Amino acid sequence: MLGLGTFSLWAALFFALAGAVFLGLGMYWDRKDLLRNGYYAVYAFFLASVVAAAVLLQAFLKGDFSFSYVAENSDASLSVFYRIAGFWAGQQGSFLFWLLLLAIVAVVIALLDLSRLERLTGGAVMVLSIISAVFAALMVFDSGSSPFTRAEAGVQPFGLNPLLLHPAMVLHPPALFIGYVGLAVPFAYAVSTLLLGRGDKLWVQRAQKWGVAGWLFLTLGIGLGAWWAYVVLSFGGYWGWDPVENTSLVPWLTATALLHSFTLYKARGLFKHWALGLAAVTFFFTILATWTTRTGLISSVHAFEKNDLLIDILTTFLVVTVASSIGLIAWRWRRFESHEELQSLLSREFFYYVTNLLLTLFAVAVAFATVGVPLLAAGLSFNLFGVIPISLPGLSVFPDAVGIGAYDVVARPLGVVTVALIAICPLLAWRKTDGAALRHTLILPLVTMGLSAVLWLYLGFQSNILGFIGLLVCGFAFGAVIQFVLHAARRAAGPDKSLWSGMARAFSGSRTRTAAYFVHFGMVLVVAGLLGSNVYKIETSTIVKVKPGATASLNGYTLTYRTMDESTGGAQGSSSSVAYFDVTKDGKALGTLAPHTDVYPMSGAAVRAVILGRPFEDLFVVADEPFDSTSKTIALRTVIFPLIRWVWIGSILLCVGAAVSLWPRGGRKEQKVRVPEANADAGEAAPADGATA
Amino acid sequence: MNKKSRTRLLVATGVIVVVFVIGVVFLVQRQGAYYSQVSDLTAGKYDDKNVKVGGRVLDGTIARDAGGVHFTIEDLTGKSDTVKVTYAGQMPNTFDAGVDVVVVGKYASADGVITADQLQTKCPSKYKGQASPSAQPGQ
Repeated sequence: MLGLGTFSLWAALFFALAGAVFLGLGMYWDRKDLLRNGYYAVYAFFLASVVAAAVLLQAFLKGDFSFSYVAENSDASLSVFYRIAGFWAGQQGSFLFWLLLLAIVAVVIALLDLSRLERLTGGAVMVLSIISAVFAALMVFDSGSSPFTRAEAGVQPFGLNPLLLHPAMVLHPPALFIGYVGLAVPFAYAVSTLLLGRGDKLWVQRAQKWGVAGWLFLTLGIGLGAWWAYVVLSFGGYWGWDPVENTSLVPWLTATALLHSFTLYKARGLFKHWALGLAAVTFFFTILATWTTRTGLISSVHAFEKNDLLIDILTTFLVVTVASSIGLIAWRWRRFESHEELQSLLSREFFYYVTNLLLTLFAVAVAFATVGVPLLAAGLSFNLFGVIPISLPGLSVFPDAVGIGAYDVVARPLGVVTVALIAICPLLAWRKTDGAALRHTLILPLVTMGLSAVLWLYLGFQSNILGFIGLLVCGFAFGAVIQFVLHAARRAAGPDKSLWSGMARAFSGSRTRTAAYFVHFGMVLVVAGLLGSNVYKIETSTIVKVKPGATASLNGYTLTYRTMDESTGGAQGSSSSVAYFDVTKDGKALGTLAPHTDVYPMSGAAVRAVILGRPFEDLFVVADEPFDSTSKTIALRTVIFPLIRWVWIGSILLCVGAAVSLWPRGGRKEQKVRVPEANADAGEAAPADGATA
Repeated sequence: MNKKSRTRLLVATGVIVVVFVIGVVFLVQRQGAYYSQVSDLTAGKYDDKNVKVGGRVLDGTIARDAGGVHFTIEDLTGKSDTVKVTYAGQMPNTFDAGVDVVVVGKYASADGVITADQLQTKCPSKYKGQASPSAQPGQ
């Protein structure tokens, strides 16, 4: 079976390359027969990838521990659900999963294009085939990256890392990978349209849905990762500006800017260079994430010196991506110049521009602090493919790491500015009309801001004035989004002038605009939740005696120790020590919390948090250190996270919004609704693609 | 695009970019931590600076009180220097005596203590568990 797996990877590599060659020539000479043959090669590449993935999957399902990858990421005690999760629990399997996703995307695009055989799409599939070939080559040539290596005789299966035994962690990696692969499609189309020198909007029409889908899954992946960190990692938070987190946030930020650029590219022929550049930058960042993890640049503190074929291939790939993107955009610069003029700084277009600029700057700053600073400080020194010496001296002016505080200082105001942009954008169209109308539009946002102020005061948020201002902005934006919906509904209202029918029409009319309602509303909730749970987080650590009646208290909450239980026979042969605490708030009983320590035979003890959810805050309780029935005391950490649920609810709305814009429309209706929009209502339709501000 | 609005756009862009870059550079300088060995600290090279230090947690030095966890780390380059660390955050699940850790925080030369705001045990990667399968047979 190992042999079949490796053989399939070779076949995938061969057919991906063959596809790229046929498609490249077909596109260059404009020959449909070559394009068709290229697509056939892509089908073969797809089949080979499916076989390779099936070999690994059956090894996990059967528990074939002669695969060293299976032995490292699974064992016989795991349920089917977690056996499948083993597929992407390690790096080698992740590469294969990534290859499979690329193959699926390439084959779907090829199938959709088989009746058209257009040059643009042929070129895009060529780019996807080249990317796939790089991933296949990684696994074929670097034995350390192949999931098909034989385990040493007598090796005991290690099992899945117990931290990964959680549904969110089963879904988080695939969601991220699907996101990354989805966002490779806009890049592929951008390269293709640049090669062809086509400055029209066809490539955007072809790539947009893939970009939105990629954004959706990336959002989902980041959200699941944060939730997992919150409930499983138990460090008392959900986001630590950890390099692994940062490298997934960075492409999300640039992808958000990309989707906004796509909207204006399509509607107005603006932001063409932005769209091309952001497509390339986003793709670059998705690969950089893998490169960063693998070099160990962050967790280690020395210059990277090992000679590692994987690093050689990935480094070359990144360099080629950057060089070819810059070269192509520079070569075709003039063909992508906008015809329309930017009239005024108080226009919607300008605010789109500011949104793009801020998102991109934020992404670059996070990438710089996470990857750039340690890289520049440590320097690089290795021989590319053992031949080309690459040497970059470490620069002592750069620190070796950037404190978490620095990220917060940048992220908090930027989050509020983003929400402010969400609020201002729909109002701006009115500014060009008379003042009375403007005052009229401001009423609702001001009312919601006032109402929110009451809530923030009730929750005691005046203790931090900057946070309070940020939350007021969120309150204002909340009203602005509702105003935005009502305005569209009034405009779309039928002859009966009913607001409800108007609402129904507005929601069914433009998918992208409806998506924008959800996404902007979700983003307001997320930012309010982030501010609430970060700025107003309260935590304390108390040493509690293991004796009934011993207490710990925080901000009106009292936890009273009751008893401890020991249990055995958990997943992977684990045993647990569970401490029960009765929780009261200001004398009122709220229930029982049971923080516990799980002991895994293979990987030792791990503390586990428990969370008591309340409408406006979570009470998070975890032991600082593992405990068991022999412990005399438990070091109990209690944390209050205000508004944290809003982060999860908002994240769900972000995904719902993106899903709405992907939902297929009923063919004819679309034309009817869209035409008047593009003319009379262009200002309204513009800020309508699935993402932030 | 007419000349006036183009100029305005460039000026607005320039202002945003310059403010942002200055802010980031300032923050990196201020919040940046320099990697050093325990022996560099005791030699006085990083007095009262932000530092990122790798070291091995000494057996029998881990203590806890209301102010957090206190422990001592020793130099990783074979020298006998040690430095004390205070950390008030949640301990990583893999923290223990004898473990290699990286701490980021401020080194106060007067009392020779690093007040850490980040603590990582080595090998924090999700990939590759805490030990390879063969290294921990049936523990």
